[in-house]
Amino acid sequence: MTATATDTATHPSPDRATPAHPTPYRITPARVLRSEWHKLWTLRSTWITLLTACVLVLTVGITMGSTYDGDDADIDTVVFVLFGTQLSLICFAVLGILVTAGEYATGMIRASLTAVPRRLPVLWSKAAVFTAVAFTLCLVTNVVTFLVAQIWLSGSDKELSLTDDGVLGALAGSAVGITLMSLIALGLGALLRSVPGGIGAFIGSVLILPEVLTTLPLDAVDTATRYFPAQAASSLGSIEHVKDAVSPGTGLFVLALWAAAVLGAAALRLRRSDV
Amino acid sequence: MIRAHGLTKRYGGKRPKTAVDDLTFEVRPGTVTGFLGPNGAGKSTTMRMLLGLDAPTSGRCTVGGRAYDRHSAPLTEVGALLEARSIHPGRSAYHHLLALAHTHGIPRARVRHVLEAAGLTEVAGRRVKGFSLGMGQRLGIATALLGDPGTLILDEPVNGLDPEGVLWIRNLLKAQAAEGRTVLVSSHLMSEMALTAEHLIIVGRGRLLADTTVERFVRDSGTRSVKVVSPAAARLAELIAGPAVTITSDTPGTLDVQGADAEHIGRTAAAHAIPLFELTPQAASLEQAFMDLTHDSVEYATPLEGAAA
Ligand SMILES: Nc1ncnc2c1ncn2[C@@H]1O[C@H](COP(=O)(O)OP(=O)(O)OP(=O)(O)O)[C@@H](O)[C@H]1O
Ligand SMILES: [Mg+2]
Repeated sequence: MTATATDTATHPSPDRATPAHPTPYRITPARVLRSEWHKLWTLRSTWITLLTACVLVLTVGITMGSTYDGDDADIDTVVFVLFGTQLSLICFAVLGILVTAGEYATGMIRASLTAVPRRLPVLWSKAAVFTAVAFTLCLVTNVVTFLVAQIWLSGSDKELSLTDDGVLGALAGSAVGITLMSLIALGLGALLRSVPGGIGAFIGSVLILPEVLTTLPLDAVDTATRYFPAQAASSLGSIEHVKDAVSPGTGLFVLALWAAAVLGAAALRLRRSDV
Repeated sequence: MIRAHGLTKRYGGKRPKTAVDDLTFEVRPGTVTGFLGPNGAGKSTTMRMLLGLDAPTSGRCTVGGRAYDRHSAPLTEVGALLEARSIHPGRSAYHHLLALAHTHGIPRARVRHVLEAAGLTEVAGRRVKGFSLGMGQRLGIATALLGDPGTLILDEPVNGLDPEGVLWIRNLLKAQAAEGRTVLVSSHLMSEMALTAEHLIIVGRGRLLADTTVERFVRDSGTRSVKVVSPAAARLAELIAGPAVTITSDTPGTLDVQGADAEHIGRTAAAHAIPLFELTPQAASLEQAFMDLTHDSVEYATPLEGAAA
């Protein structure tokens, strides 16, 4: 009995009868990246969310610049012209969630993982493509919005040029903050495998929870909330040091750690569970 | 070549359910193998395990000599059509295929070729959202063919197809097998499989019920009987009765004889001068034979589940 069992189990010879396919086709990391790039740009939702995000930042920036009357003198100039990023963050986060959880909602994930059965390259490629697109777009939008807003701000106490100390750093820092925050959203989408679930978790735990916690009259909690993603991100996008926030270097490190942790958890789930 | 050895899948939860139970089978190249079983028999689950989408609770399975995820170009090894839709409805058919093709470096020309083969060229640029059930199914088949794979694993491919589509699938599967490829195709319909497949793997409640050829299945289905109509039916029944013979009678003057062939009955009747009005061998239908085989696994499904509740 054992003999028959081992016989069928360990004898691979008849398998060689399968026609061999000497094709140049093979999975490579670059090809998986290309596939994810293609997937991203062939959906309308991508164009809609990205365009909305850019338009929001620009319009809010123009509105702020053109209606400035010196009332908000104490607000950091970059923070001031980039108020729209509070809204665009939601757009980028939703897109991040759609990139991952959207495939579970539609069943596309089964096709993706049949094509790349090692699974993890799909998640890393999604994250990489999304990060590159989100960062580039945020940076360009931030710079353009800053320059356009300066048309109205020149002559006021908020007149600054790109080359002034800390300006470019703050504009780039804001882009990094939004990108990493929406990368967390992408990870939450992959972890929860549900679009509404991902959006709920992102808004609830990343945007609302720390605000609720800061209302508690406990110093320890106050300090701890500085290390939450949104609070860490706020340290990145301004020229001056933000009151009650960690330093930009710490903020960047903490935010990256959050994103890595969520993506790590998503990777673990992707490897372990059935689809 | 597809191999499953002791393949078992249990789904957890409060009431653990064994979807696939110790399945061992082989699917050989060069023939179409039908994978049959009633609803919930575990066909789709088995196919998902073959493709590495579900991890087996125990046991192993290989495709082309390796676990599916060990292949460096899986799309050229196995083409799959799953039961559940696996397409983003917001993308066009062309871009869906191209996105998958990119992972392996498969060229655009191949994408256009499979679209053409599936009869989708005209609608290739349209978003899948607007596709009918049959068009969606055709796109699924086109996806399976994308890498020109040596093995095809198709879960109910004729689902939702019109007669022309059914014929297309039937011919496609036969042609693929004739080229020496391995073809595993699931279905509930024995009659459809009898036209398409040469080999059969039949499962019920996750267990292997039969691993046979269509020919042998038809031959062995055994329940063939002979219908006899005679004014002296009762006397004839006495004459042909024997240990291996079962005789039933629904209406007076009509016998249904199992275990004795028409020749024997005819000669016996002639020898005793019994007139016969009708003597007809009844071949059991394939569907009937299939239902007889899977009968137990279907029949016990409901009460057992009810008892567990
Ligand atoms: N993800 C899952 N979680 C829990 N139970 C499952 C899951 N997938 C399948 N099952 C159960 O496993 C059993 C086998 O299901 P499966 O879909 O494999 O059957 P099937 O033979 O394909 O049936 P059908 O002919 O209806 O397609 C069913 O009882 C089903 O309820
Ligand atoms: Mg099924």
